[in-house]
Amino acid sequence: MASDPDVDQSPPSPGTVDFRGSRRLVGAEEWFWYLAAAITYITLGIWHKWLLNWFVGPAWLVAFIVVGPWITDRLGMTGRSRSALGSAGSDGQTSR
Amino acid sequence: MSWAAHQFEIYAVQAHLPQKMKGKVSFWAIFLGDFTPDFLSKFWVYGFTINGTRYGADVPHQWHRGFPGMGFTHTLFFGVILTLLIWGWRKNRAFTIGYLLGFAAHALTDINDSVGVMLFFPLLVLNFTSETWAYAATVEGGKYLDAAAYYSSLGLVMDVFWLIVVLFSWRVLTREHWRTQIVPADARIWAWFGRWLPERGLIALYRATFFYGLCRMISWSAWARFFADPEKYRDFDVTSRGFPMDLSWTGPSWLAARSLSHVNPWLAYPAALMLLAVVYAVIIRLWEPMGRREAKALAARSRWRNGTHDEADVQADA
Repeated sequence: MASDPDVDQSPPSPGTVDFRGSRRLVGAEEWFWYLAAAITYITLGIWHKWLLNWFVGPAWLVAFIVVGPWITDRLGMTGRSRSALGSAGSDGQTSR
Repeated sequence: MSWAAHQFEIYAVQAHLPQKMKGKVSFWAIFLGDFTPDFLSKFWVYGFTINGTRYGADVPHQWHRGFPGMGFTHTLFFGVILTLLIWGWRKNRAFTIGYLLGFAAHALTDINDSVGVMLFFPLLVLNFTSETWAYAATVEGGKYLDAAAYYSSLGLVMDVFWLIVVLFSWRVLTREHWRTQIVPADARIWAWFGRWLPERGLIALYRATFFYGLCRMISWSAWARFFADPEKYRDFDVTSRGFPMDLSWTGPSWLAARSLSHVNPWLAYPAALMLLAVVYAVIIRLWEPMGRREAKALAARSRWRNGTHDEADVQADA
């Protein structure tokens, strides 16, 4: 069966996934998501002050960091397919 | 009052624990301790409006920091009482010590505004204030004017100071620090969050208070400086958009600083530093005895779970 050349189906190296089989963020990608969360939150906060509170602030960051990479993975923007992540899940159980 | 400083100081406390406590003090307890004083008092400071009727304190600074009022929530006396209750409830050293440190950090930081806190309550019902910047929460101005005054004064410098303290201890924000120092002290709480979040979400949750502090500092500062319309809040002598910056002592000068009966401002820092030293000396002194007591309590609980408590406890009572 021919594989999709655009999708990296090789299992990720140990240590790149966590105890749930979710991908860890490292380096530039981690910075990107934190900066994206900060810039959007700061900008919206200037005009919508109700966003600047104890609950929304932390929830904003956690949502960005959890959901953002998940979406880009599903869209194939980070070169990780669903099947590759699936196989990583089993590896992830032992990569704590 | 202080704004983002309260978010940054949580990490500063975490980064400057005594050597023997590193990795053994609960981060969530520091957070909760730092959160408690304003959680109990601040909701009524700004108040809220329903159907045109305002509900809130008539004199916000008296309510927030005074006596009578909720000023006792910003005293070490109250913090110690809550800490003793927590210790009596769970006998959990990591949480008890963390809670006291967080509470103390909040109470001592708040000496900087023009109202200050009652450091020696109930022995002395006078506030200790360094009058570094103006306390600006008012019925008319609400949260917006308070923010504008704070981020146009030395309050902003205080936030930046605490930010720099954390950045000098930047390792406290790393995954490695979270994994080796934060998780072990709060293993059950992180395990519970781990049922819902992947590791990157857990680390984000740990960093979230820092993120929130940094973002609110930038957002409120930008609003106060470039976007706010001062005339909306009072007849300020300002011709352009944005409140003017004023880094003079007890500034900004365009707003009357609120105040309560207080001691000589020169006493504020020495008194606060002395109390901080006392808090650290006490927790260092009590660390081992509390550890032994916690171990005994854990053993007793374990016996209860195993159903062997009757004989052991009867013998202990005898």
